[in-house]
Amino acid sequence: MPSLEINGQSIEVETGSNVLQAAEQLDIHVPRYCYHPGLSVAGSCRMCLVEIEKMPKLAISCHIQAQDGMKVSTESEKVKQARKSMLEFLLVNHPLDCPVCDQSGECDLQNYYMEVGQYDSRFLENKIKRRKAVPIGPHVILDQERCILCTRCTRFCNEISQSNELGVFNRGNRSVIDLAPAKTLDNPYSGNVIDICPVGALTEREFRFQCRVWYLSTQESICNGCSRGCNISIHYNTSLSYKAGGKRVQRLKPRLNPHVNRWWMCDEGRFGYEFIDHNRIESPQLRAVQGKLQTSDWEQVLQEVSTGLKTTLENFGPEGIGVIASPQLSNEELYLIRKIFAESMGVQEIGTRNPWEKEGFEDDFLIRGDKNPNSRGAEELGLNSDVKAILEKAASGKIKILYIFQHNFESPEAQEMLGQAGYVIFQGTNWNKTVEVSNAVLPGATYAEKDGTFTNFEGRLQRFQQALLPLSESKSDIEILSTLARKLGYPVTYLDAEEIFREWWGRTYQELEEFGELLNGQKR
Amino acid sequence: MEYFIQFSKAFFIFNLVMGFMYILTWLERKQSALMQDRIGANRADILGFRLLGLFHPLADAIKLFTKEDFIPPGGNRLLHTLAPFVAMFFALISFAVIPFGGIYSLGGYSVSLQVLDLNVGLLFVFATMSMGIYGFVLAGWSSNNNYALLGSVRAASQMISYEITMGATIIGVLMIYETLNLQEMVLAQGETLWGWIPKWGIFLQPLGFILFATAAMAETKRVPFDIPEGESEIIGYFVEYSGMKFGMFLATDFIETVLAAALITTLFLGGWQVPFLGSDGFFFSGELWVALSSVTVMFLQVSAFLLKVSVLCVFMMLVRWTLPRFRWDHLMRLGWTIMLPLSILNILITALILLWIR
Amino acid sequence: MAIKQVERDLTFRERIYILEILKALRLTARHLFRNLFVHIAHRFGLLRRLRGGVTYQYPEERRPFSPRLRTLHRLTRRQDGSPRCVACMMCETVCPAHCIYIVGGEHPDPQIEKYPVRFDIDLGLCVFCGYCVEACPEDAIRMDTGKLEFSSYSREGLIHDLQELLSRSTTPPKR
Repeated sequence: MPSLEINGQSIEVETGSNVLQAAEQLDIHVPRYCYHPGLSVAGSCRMCLVEIEKMPKLAISCHIQAQDGMKVSTESEKVKQARKSMLEFLLVNHPLDCPVCDQSGECDLQNYYMEVGQYDSRFLENKIKRRKAVPIGPHVILDQERCILCTRCTRFCNEISQSNELGVFNRGNRSVIDLAPAKTLDNPYSGNVIDICPVGALTEREFRFQCRVWYLSTQESICNGCSRGCNISIHYNTSLSYKAGGKRVQRLKPRLNPHVNRWWMCDEGRFGYEFIDHNRIESPQLRAVQGKLQTSDWEQVLQEVSTGLKTTLENFGPEGIGVIASPQLSNEELYLIRKIFAESMGVQEIGTRNPWEKEGFEDDFLIRGDKNPNSRGAEELGLNSDVKAILEKAASGKIKILYIFQHNFESPEAQEMLGQAGYVIFQGTNWNKTVEVSNAVLPGATYAEKDGTFTNFEGRLQRFQQALLPLSESKSDIEILSTLARKLGYPVTYLDAEEIFREWWGRTYQELEEFGELLNGQKR
Repeated sequence: MEYFIQFSKAFFIFNLVMGFMYILTWLERKQSALMQDRIGANRADILGFRLLGLFHPLADAIKLFTKEDFIPPGGNRLLHTLAPFVAMFFALISFAVIPFGGIYSLGGYSVSLQVLDLNVGLLFVFATMSMGIYGFVLAGWSSNNNYALLGSVRAASQMISYEITMGATIIGVLMIYETLNLQEMVLAQGETLWGWIPKWGIFLQPLGFILFATAAMAETKRVPFDIPEGESEIIGYFVEYSGMKFGMFLATDFIETVLAAALITTLFLGGWQVPFLGSDGFFFSGELWVALSSVTVMFLQVSAFLLKVSVLCVFMMLVRWTLPRFRWDHLMRLGWTIMLPLSILNILITALILLWIR
Repeated sequence: MAIKQVERDLTFRERIYILEILKALRLTARHLFRNLFVHIAHRFGLLRRLRGGVTYQYPEERRPFSPRLRTLHRLTRRQDGSPRCVACMMCETVCPAHCIYIVGGEHPDPQIEKYPVRFDIDLGLCVFCGYCVEACPEDAIRMDTGKLEFSSYSREGLIHDLQELLSRSTTPPKR
């Protein structure tokens, strides 16, 4: 465990860590372009140069291993001059694109320039022109002029996604980043090059020109695309509603979690946020006697639902009620469902898994075949009844009232069974096939609009936080269920999700470990 | 026929005063504008003719006519409506004794261009002016408003205090011309002093002129003595008035201005006298130099009167737009402690001089 | 800080006050007669260069103002007539009244890349500070039209859109 001194402060670090990582542990930020902790070291940008005592030249801190007794200075005059000169070189051919570049506001060239820049340009020549605004994949646009040749993207494509689409071509001052011949950047992790590119050379096509980054607010959350549960940040804009056609969520970016997804996320999850603002059920619906769904208000719908449940309970007992919860719901909501339906009402059969849902694409990196974020959580809570059996009972008439959460029963078999079922209540976020055969529709909130926890496939409990308010008249599922329970006469008075979590897991959100907590066989 | 002459004289003087009032409204705006390097109101037009803004007073009158007639709740309805009439009536009636021309023989009739030939003309003027105070007192009291009442009390006290000075100054004039009849007083001013200075009051009673001018301005509540009116500073007695009743108070203000100007010309500036003009023509050193017909002389003398009144009106406007307003206690102190002793001193000096001459 | 009291007593002449009044009257009378003379001369067509009063006869005569005065906005054009604006949102961000609403779009020319699909300025909110002009990196917005009269009968009429703002710039003459 070598101990070294950086800027006068001592620190002891793990063997094998480089000086830059040691400086980061002391909260000293060393500027860098080509170094990324998730990729191999290139050492080509020369921005992370630091002055180490007894070394004749400045050394790159991203590669030099921390040794015992080193004395490092990251703010000496030589280092500052070196950074200034490096920036000057990089800006020689960099186009004046800040007004039109999407990276503006989160661009490392801008940020480091404001700290240590030359400010008075000495450049008198003409800049070199290259290709601009070239779509190189379904999600990525390349601008060769803005590239500073840090080679992070080529290293990513070689090492992480192992698809080898990008490379540096030509030599000297003609070097450019370009696609390998006859290839397009269409690997399932292509969006990550947008995150790692420090300048606006690689930008997101979906986000292009939608909104300036300083208008966006962020919130930490968990992706609900599959059961991996990658940690993400939701970037949203609620103050300027005229931007981007009124979309609230503008983009998703991955967060660092060394145990789950490290620095990456797949494209499916990254670009799967449209359902949050698109095609949502915005107000409660009731099916009129003639057969069409009509917009109603909460009071009326909840009254009808609760009356239906009560009468069914009285006349047919708990066997007359069937509940199909969803592995899209959070642990808190599933716990509440269990509490209300199983414990209070006595409903035995609560299922979550849709038997017609096939496993999707899976690979050995991040993407899992189970496209629901909380299947393991539902399993752990014991809601494991057979959904097909429940639907058959509903179709045959043994179950009078069916409460379905979020599922999209598209298959003709399921549709037929639902058609024959008695009273169908649907609680979910988007319009789908199940809604078309439901009698009462309660609009719920998406994961971006509520607090909660998901349990991923390996049993890791991860917390996600609320970014937006529920759209229009929709409410969070906890609120709907609590109101319903009170109407049925059960005293359910949780104020928020954290209270339910504390009751279920025994800890507060703050006490959860930073990168998620493994269940380790605990059953609650 | 007598009635016709009398009626036409009354008609003429009434219209003259009203016309003067209209012109004065216009003149106020224009003269104040010129003094302040502005242009004044010049946008009211009829069929495209602007006429230097002469239609603005007409516009004002129309506006005042169309305003809501408001009597404050709790106020005395009769007195509230009566007050502007009282004020205006007594201001107008004072003009009856002002001579605006001499005595001429026209078509066989001997016509004296004075509506009412009273032997106590001067006293009559003062009497009516004192009665005019009632108008303002009634206005303030019938408004059912504390501050209006205070304003009218202020007005009454101011008018009373300056009347005394006016009265005292007049005594000086009286002693010199030895008559209360205004027409005779103007005739007496036709003579000359030492052959070439006309015997106008201003030359014989310079101190009296200054005192009377100031007191007249204070009496008629002209700036700088317009604390009762208040305008932007303090509530006056016409806060509860709107529409034409308010317009009549404003009109009274201008009529009294013309009255003050007319009085000053009659007493001090020789009335309708043109220097060296007798009833037959221009006289110099007792000899007739230019002979003029009766009618021409009449025109000359009436125009002289109008000219003098106009000059005085302009002068009063000048003073109004130059001086800042007096504070009420300054006003009272000025009236009682400075002007009254000065006017008494004036009487004393005049008496001594007259004693020395005769 | 000490305050020095300076006693200024009025002299006897000043205290009589009548002389002061006469001096004041002389001043105002001088103004009166000078202006009267100038106005009469104007009627005869003489002395046109002197002003009789400081009044500006609006709307026939406008008050002259400096070319730096911040008046109604306009968006400038390129040589071919398209707007210079590249929808960088600098003006929208810096505007203290949040009165500029911009939505950007893709421009077919990769050298220009971006153009404003929607550019609205809500003049009901604008405080005419000129920050947008200072912030613009493309010299696309200017406040030099010289127009100060743009009243409208409705609040919506005060929201000027892209076309209206562009129309205040003439296309530069072709070479």
